[in-house]
Amino acid sequence: MGAQGRIVWVSGPAVRADGMSDAKMYETVTVGDAKLVGEVIRLTGDVAFIQVYESTSGLKPGEPVIGTGAPLSVFLGPGIIGQIYDGIQRPLRELSKISGSYIGRGITTTPVDMTKHYHFLPTVSIGDEVSGGSILGTVKETDLIEHSIMVPPDHKGGKITNIVSEGDYDLETEIATTEKDGQTTSLKMYHKWPVRKPRPILKRHDPTVPLITGQRVIDTFFPIAKGGTGSIPGAFGTGKTVTLHQIAKWADSQVVVYIGCGERGNEMTEVLVDFPKLKDPRTGKPLMDRTVLVANTSNMPVAAREASIYTGVTIAEYYRDMGYDVVLVADSTSRWAEALREMSGRLEEMPAEEGYPSYLASRLAEFYERAGRVRALGSPDRDGSVTIIGAVSPSGGDFTEPVTTHTMRFIKTFWALDAKLAYSRHYPSINWMNSYSGYLADISKWWGENISDDWLSLRGEAYAVLQREDTLKEIVRLLGPEALPDEEKIILEVARMIKIGLLQQNSFDEVDTYCSPEKQFKLLKLLVDFYNRGQQALKEGAALADIRAMPIVGSILKARMDIKDDQIAKLDQLDLDMLEQFKSITGVKIQN
Amino acid sequence: MSAEGGVQYSKIAEIKGPLVVVDDVSSAAFDELVEIETNEGERRLGKVLEVGNGKAIVQVFEGTTGLSISGTKAKFVGKVMEMPVSKEVLGRVFDGLGRPRDGLPDPIADKFIDINGQPMNPEQREYPKDFIQTGISVIDGTMTLVRGQKLPIFSGSGMSHNLLAAQIARQATVVGTKDDFAVVFAAIGVQYSEAEYFRRSLEESGALKRSVLFLNTADDPAIERIITPRVALTVAEYLAFDLGMHVLVILTDMTNYAEALREISAAREEVPGRKGYPGYLYTDLSTIYERAGKLKGKKGSVTQVPILSMPSDDITHPIPDLTGYITEGQIVLGRDLFRQGVYPPVNILMSLSRLMKDGIGKGSTREDHAEVSNQIYDAYSRAQEVRALAGIVGKAGLTEIDLRYMDVGDAFEKDFLTQATDESRTIEETLGIMWKIVSLLPKNEITKIKDKYIDQYYTGK
Amino acid sequence: MLTSNSSLEQAIDKILEKTEKEILSDLKNSGLDSKQTLDDSLTKLEQEYDKIISDGNKEADKIEKQIIGSSELGTRNKQLTTVEESIDKVFTKALDEIANADRSGDYLDLIKSLFDESTKILGTTEIVVYTNSKDKDIVQSLLSKYPGAELSSETIDCLGGVKINSKDGTMAFDNTVDAKVERLKPLIRKEISTKFGVGN
Repeated sequence: MGAQGRIVWVSGPAVRADGMSDAKMYETVTVGDAKLVGEVIRLTGDVAFIQVYESTSGLKPGEPVIGTGAPLSVFLGPGIIGQIYDGIQRPLRELSKISGSYIGRGITTTPVDMTKHYHFLPTVSIGDEVSGGSILGTVKETDLIEHSIMVPPDHKGGKITNIVSEGDYDLETEIATTEKDGQTTSLKMYHKWPVRKPRPILKRHDPTVPLITGQRVIDTFFPIAKGGTGSIPGAFGTGKTVTLHQIAKWADSQVVVYIGCGERGNEMTEVLVDFPKLKDPRTGKPLMDRTVLVANTSNMPVAAREASIYTGVTIAEYYRDMGYDVVLVADSTSRWAEALREMSGRLEEMPAEEGYPSYLASRLAEFYERAGRVRALGSPDRDGSVTIIGAVSPSGGDFTEPVTTHTMRFIKTFWALDAKLAYSRHYPSINWMNSYSGYLADISKWWGENISDDWLSLRGEAYAVLQREDTLKEIVRLLGPEALPDEEKIILEVARMIKIGLLQQNSFDEVDTYCSPEKQFKLLKLLVDFYNRGQQALKEGAALADIRAMPIVGSILKARMDIKDDQIAKLDQLDLDMLEQFKSITGVKIQN
Repeated sequence: MSAEGGVQYSKIAEIKGPLVVVDDVSSAAFDELVEIETNEGERRLGKVLEVGNGKAIVQVFEGTTGLSISGTKAKFVGKVMEMPVSKEVLGRVFDGLGRPRDGLPDPIADKFIDINGQPMNPEQREYPKDFIQTGISVIDGTMTLVRGQKLPIFSGSGMSHNLLAAQIARQATVVGTKDDFAVVFAAIGVQYSEAEYFRRSLEESGALKRSVLFLNTADDPAIERIITPRVALTVAEYLAFDLGMHVLVILTDMTNYAEALREISAAREEVPGRKGYPGYLYTDLSTIYERAGKLKGKKGSVTQVPILSMPSDDITHPIPDLTGYITEGQIVLGRDLFRQGVYPPVNILMSLSRLMKDGIGKGSTREDHAEVSNQIYDAYSRAQEVRALAGIVGKAGLTEIDLRYMDVGDAFEKDFLTQATDESRTIEETLGIMWKIVSLLPKNEITKIKDKYIDQYYTGK
Repeated sequence: MLTSNSSLEQAIDKILEKTEKEILSDLKNSGLDSKQTLDDSLTKLEQEYDKIISDGNKEADKIEKQIIGSSELGTRNKQLTTVEESIDKVFTKALDEIANADRSGDYLDLIKSLFDESTKILGTTEIVVYTNSKDKDIVQSLLSKYPGAELSSETIDCLGGVKINSKDGTMAFDNTVDAKVERLKPLIRKEISTKFGVGN
C-alpha cells in the first residue's frame, strides 16, 4: 500500500492532498470517497499535487487519498484489439454495462475480459534461455492478429523451467516459469507497462519502406515511411478527421491505434460503426480486427486526455514488439497540449508562449520519439514499426502558434491543410506548396523495386508543373489568363488536371476511396505524358483549344473514379488513346 | 435533494468581479451550489469554483453588485445545481437559471437533474443519420442537417440569423415519421426583442406548446449566462432520452456565453489564452456542444443549432474557431450576400455539414444528391474566381466557359439560395433546382458526377 | 374548475381536521428516540400527507381529467396554478398544526435531536442559539448539556426548532422546522401532485 493522505484543496481536475510524503511521482492514487483515479504530478513537502482522471464534482477537502504504489500503467495482453478505451484504458463497452449511456465515476473494471480463454501455442521448451521481450508462444487474438505472448521487457531473463502445453488458457493462468540465479518467476499471458516509459528495443532501423495509405496526395507527393512521423495541421473544416480516418482505414499496417484525444464523440462512434463493416483491402477481413480505439472526447475529463496519448503509444509499442507495423493516429495533439496547459495553469507554473508550459516542446519531442522501425528485444529476431501521425488544430488556422511550430521540429512529413482548398471542395485539402516529406529519398528505392524506376522523376515533373502554376497564377490574377502564351496556358490546364485527376480524392466514393500504388503511378504517368505531349503538340502548331477539347481530357479526369484497381490495364489503354488523339490534332507529328 | 441543508458562512474575505471568496469554510465541495444572502435578505445563487485551505471561491450567477464584505452570507447547499424536470416544462418560460419567468409555479419535478450533465459514453452513441428536411434549399441541398447533429450558425451583428434559426425551428421535419418533437430555446444575453421574435414565431406556428424557453436577455445578469445553456440542455436531454422526443435546441448567442466565461477567468487572474479567453474555452464549450446526439436504445435525439455572432465577422476569432472544432460543421452567413439583400445569406463555400454524407443518398434523399452537391460547390467556387477576375479584366477578358460560370453564380444566388421566410421546399424541389443550375454548364465541365446521373438528370444541351 | 377547486378544499379541510392529531402525535413520536432526527419525523409527516391526499383522490380524478383532456396551453397553465394552490393549502394547514403543537413531553427530545445535528455539522458547541418564544424554555433547559452554548435574548419568527450560530458569528446553521420543510418541499410537492394525478 502506498501513501494515505487527505484532500486539502480542489479546483477542477486538480487536487492537493497532504500526508503524502510516501507518495511517488506519477504514482496512481485513488481520490476521495468516490474512489476516483488520479496521478501524482508534483510533490512539495508532504503535499501531493494530483491530476484526477474523472470529474471532481462534489469532492471535498478532508476526503481520503490513497496511493496504489504503482505508476499509471496499461494492461498488455490478448483482448486489446477491437476495444474502445478511455484515456486510462478503461473499456467503454464494459463501463456502459455498469453506468449506462453516460460515463460514470469511480468504476473499476479490467481492460479486457480476464476469464476469456485463448488457444496458446508454445514456441519455447523447457531448458530454453529467454530474455526480456522473448516470445513464449502465440494466441490467435483476431482473424488478423496472431498475438505473441512475450516475456516482459524488463524481465531479467533466465531458463524456462516450465511451459504449458498447447491448449486453452485464461489470462490469469501461469503459462511459464523461468529461473535465474536460483530465483523463479512466473509468467502469464499478460503484463503491465507504465505508460510514460517507452518500451525498450534492441536497435533502430532506417525508415526505408513507405507506409502506403492509398491516398494519392500522400503516397505520391508527400509520403511517410513506416516508423516515421507525420503531422497534419489544419483549421476546422479542412477535412483533418476524414483524412485521418482514411489513413486508419487503408494504411498497409497490421495494427492501427486510433486516439481520439479531446475530439468529437460522434467521430469515435463513426469509427465504431464503419470499421467492422469495412474490409481490409489486402486481407478481406473487417478493419476492426486490427484496430484499437482510445477515446477521450472533448467533454470527458481533461486529465485523462493528457494520459490518452501515452496509453495509445504504449499499446502501439507492444504490438510493434511482436513484429507488426503499427500506425498510431493521434487526433488531436493540440487538445492534448491544451490539457497540459490547463494542468500547468492549475499548478501555477510560469507559462511560456500562449500560456503553454515551457516543457511543451520536450513533451512533444518525447512523444514523437516513440515512433520508429526497430528490432525488438528477445528471440526470435523480429522487426516492427510504430508510425506516429499527429493532428494539430491550430487556433484560427494559424501555423505559427506554439503547438504547430514545436511539432514541426520533431516530424518529417508535414501535410498542411488549407482552408481555401477546403472551401472550394478540393479534398483532401493538403496544400502542395506548403507540405513536405523528408522520406522521399529513403523510400524511392522501394518504389523502384516494386512499381517503377520512373516514379521519383515523374513525381518531380508533375510537382514542377504545380510549382510553375503557382507563379503563373499571380500573373493571371493581375492580367487575366489571356495575357499568357499558349505554352504557359497549358501549364494551367495540366495543373488543373493534376488537381482534379490526381490530388483530389473522394473518400466517400467506393472506388476512389483507396488507390493502389500501381494505379497511382499510372495516373501520374498519364498526366505527365499529357503535359509533355501537349507541349510538343503546341510546338507542332496545334491549337490549345483543340487540346482542351480532346475527349481524353474528361476520361483522364474521371479515371480515378471510373477505373477500379483490378482494371488497371484500362489506364494503359487511356495512354494509347491519348497518343492517338494528339496525333489526330497534329497530323501524326507527335511521338510517344 | 438533501434534507440536511447547509452551513451558512458569513466571513467574506474578498469580493472581486463575479467572485466571492469565503473564509473559514470547514466543509464545502467542489462545484457545490451556494446560496448567497445579501444584507437586505435577497438571495442569489452561485457555485464553488475552488475549495481548500479554509477558503472557498464562489462564482455568483446573478453578479456581486450590492454585496458587501460584512453582512453577506454564503450557504453551501450540499448538492450541485439541479434543474427540476417533468413533461410539464413544455410550454413554459424560464429565466436564465431555470426559474419560472411566466408567473406560474415551479414545475413539479419528476426528477432533479444535475445541470452539468455527464459525458456520453462514445460507445453508447448512435451515429446520427436521419435526414431533417428544413425546407430551406441551401441547407437541405448542400449542408444537410441530421438528427443528433450540432450545426451552428456563424453570423455577424445585425444579420438574419434569427430569421433563419426560427425558420428551421418552424419547418424542420423528418419526412415520413410522426415522432414527437420539441423545441428548446435558450436566449443568452440577447435583446428582449430577439427572444420575443422567437417566442412569437413558435406561437404562430402552433409550436409553443411543444417548446421550452429559457430567457437571459441583455439586461439580465451576465454570469447567469454560464448556466442558461446548461439548464436548457438538461431539459432537452430529459425530453429526448427520458420521454423519447426529438428535440431541437437553439442557443443564441454563444458569444455572450464565452464573454461571461472570460469575465470569470479574468476575475480569477488565470493565465489567458487567445484574446483574453481562458485556455479551457475549448473544453468548456465542448461540455455544451457535445450534449447533442443520439443514444443506443433510446428513442429521442438532441439536435443543436447554436448561434454565435463573430466579432468583426472574423471566423478565426477564438469563439467561432473553437466552436467549429467541436461542432459537426457550420452554417456561415456572408456579409456581402446580406448586404445584397439575399435571404438566407449563406456563404456555402465556408459552410459545411460533416454528417451530411450519412444523412443523404439512396433511401433518405436521392442517390445523386452527394455528387450534384459536390458539383454545385465546385461550380460556385469557380464562379467566385471568375467574378473576381471579371472585376479586373472586365467581362471581355473572359472565356466562353468563364461566362457560363458567371451564369451559374447568378442562378445559384437567385434561384437556389434566395427563399422566402415562409417558403418550405421539399428535397425533390431543391434537387431539381440544383440540377437546373448544374445544367448551365457543358457536360465536360461536370467532373464530380457519374455519367449515369448526368444521363438521368442533366437538362442542358 | 372552480367547483372542483372548492370541493377539493372542503375535502382537504375535512381530512385535515381528522388527521390533525395524528400529525401532532407523529411529531411527538419523533422525539421518543433521541437519535432520531427531524428528518425522520418529516418523512412520517409526508406519509401523513399521502394519507390525506389519497382520501382526496376522488377530487383528484377530476383535476386529472381536466388536465389530460386539455391541450391548450392557457388551460394547462391555469391547471398548474390550481394544483399549486391546492398544494399550498395542504402545506399551510399542516404547518399551522405544527406551529400550535403541544410543547410538553416528547417535544424536548425533538429539540435535542435538532441541537445534536446542528452542533455536529458546525463542529463546535461554542454557539449562540436562536429560537421562537414558544420553544425558548425548552431550549434553555437543554443548554447545560452543550458547554459554551448560549441562548440569544432575541427570538426569531419560526414554527419551531432552532437556528444556531457559532460564537464568532462566521457560521450559521438553520435547523428550524421551517427550514426543514422548505428543503423537503420540492419532494413533497411531487408526492402531493402525484396524488392529484398530475406530474409524471
